[in-house]
Amino acid sequence: MINIQNVSFHYKKKSPLFNDFSLEVESGHIVGLLGKNGAGKSTLLNLISGLIQPNAGKINVNGFVPFNRNPNYLADVYMVPEEFAFPPISISTYVKAFSPLYPNFDYHKLYDIFEEFELQPTANLNKLSHGQRKKFLIAFALSTNCKMLVFDEPTNGLDIPSKSQFRKIMVSSVSEEQLVIISTHQVKDIDTVIDKVVVIEDGQIIYQENINEITLKLYFDLVPSLAGIENVLYHEICPLGHKIIVPATDGNESSIDLELLFNAIINKTINSPLTHLPKDRETATK
Amino acid sequence: MNSNNFFSFSRFYRLLRNDILLNHKKYLLTIVGGFIMGFIVMYLYMPNLIQQPYSNSSFNAQRYSSLFIMCLFGLGAFVGSAFSELSNKVKISNYLLVPASTFEKFLSQFTIRVVAGTIIFLVIFWVDAHLARIAVLSRIEGLNGQLAGPEKYDYIKKFHWSMFLIKSNYPTVTNWRLFEGIGFILTFFSAGMFLFSVKIFFRKLGLIKTGIALVATLYLIMVIMVCFSHLFYPETKGFSTGNIDYMLSNGYTNNDIFQYSIAYLAPLFLLPLGYFKLKEKQL
Repeated sequence: MINIQNVSFHYKKKSPLFNDFSLEVESGHIVGLLGKNGAGKSTLLNLISGLIQPNAGKINVNGFVPFNRNPNYLADVYMVPEEFAFPPISISTYVKAFSPLYPNFDYHKLYDIFEEFELQPTANLNKLSHGQRKKFLIAFALSTNCKMLVFDEPTNGLDIPSKSQFRKIMVSSVSEEQLVIISTHQVKDIDTVIDKVVVIEDGQIIYQENINEITLKLYFDLVPSLAGIENVLYHEICPLGHKIIVPATDGNESSIDLELLFNAIINKTINSPLTHLPKDRETATK
Repeated sequence: MNSNNFFSFSRFYRLLRNDILLNHKKYLLTIVGGFIMGFIVMYLYMPNLIQQPYSNSSFNAQRYSSLFIMCLFGLGAFVGSAFSELSNKVKISNYLLVPASTFEKFLSQFTIRVVAGTIIFLVIFWVDAHLARIAVLSRIEGLNGQLAGPEKYDYIKKFHWSMFLIKSNYPTVTNWRLFEGIGFILTFFSAGMFLFSVKIFFRKLGLIKTGIALVATLYLIMVIMVCFSHLFYPETKGFSTGNIDYMLSNGYTNNDIFQYSIAYLAPLFLLPLGYFKLKEKQL
């Protein structure tokens, strides 16, 4: 689990990115960490991974202080960064070099995912496309069986079939003991994967909710016109009419449109805990 | 603190294996390149024409020592390329998250770059010295045939490590004493440690920045010397230093002691400094 208490952080000669930031997430979740550019998503992932040290406050992940970079902690954390570099070696050599460093590494899972992603173990990593290399990293990360997996923009560079494969593999590979954090702008790519949404803006959490709570409270719909629809919390014009968010009533549930939800949150139309705002604050995005 | 968090032999072995699997081609090329370069340097440095008047000690221990020091720059470059993963942000994040303690990461680089590098360097130097000698001697014979038999082989002395025990053969042969011999080795070790930590301190233009840091350090020492000179020798003028050389009862001069003290103490600071800097390294 992650326990962040009153953390402050700023890069050298820059204004504070996090000020008195707190977050608590239990294991067994796949968390979607969302936010606009510069909101602090990658910095938060770096703080959690132990790549940077907070200026103040405490971070505890699975009983470890990340920045101490205890080897037992590092053996249970795997981060797939947005940008990556590989030495000029084959996939199998890379696996041979790095897998022994992760005590729970599962080779069967790795080769199953390779098959799913159509990756050849003999291929040279530097001769693969960006998307293929990302798929390899995702496969390797999931096979480590680390208690915490951190993905920074995992679907960037993946083609459309690979994105759906990613969702399928993610759902089938993650166990109850693991905590997965996915930071992304491509919210549509992860909407069926995550079970918790955390939205940060200006170094603060502006929304935090479990997916099943959201479906109980909000109803996402596509309507030809807004006429006669009451309590529209947020709407966006689309080619077929309007995508809307309304309060869920009578136990009706819908699939979450994460992009619509995110825009609603960013436009301060929906807050956490959910509040119904007056109609004059609705924002239409054209 | 659990010592397993600090050092575990199995984890250290896995880390070494990881490094060798990732970089074996680079290391192999470095060894082959070093071997070829070493041979070329030695071949060119050894006299390929017999000087007149002929002296049977043309290429002796002192010439081999100069050659050895020259070749040490190659080892310095190899040691200076330690922690190559710390050269850019992407690689830094991968390296820092490798599941091993900072001490194991530091020790693995030290083992590969300094320990293994030095052993391989010594082997290459020994082989190259013998090969270059044979190549040069065969060429001398081919050129003028002035020398034949044992005389020819004495023209360039056969290399052996005991040659380095000789400190000077002028005016008489003197050997290094233990204290100064160790001090001499530690001087090179200190320089090696300085280069070893380059990447930990400087992400980009490491060697240039290290050069600047070295000049700044020397300048700082000079400034301190000038200040002390003014303090203890009031007659000192301007920027000159009152560096008076005098012989101590143990046969060393005060300046010898000063230099050897730096050589002996520098690694004690440089190694922990590099380790703690790596421990505190951030993205």
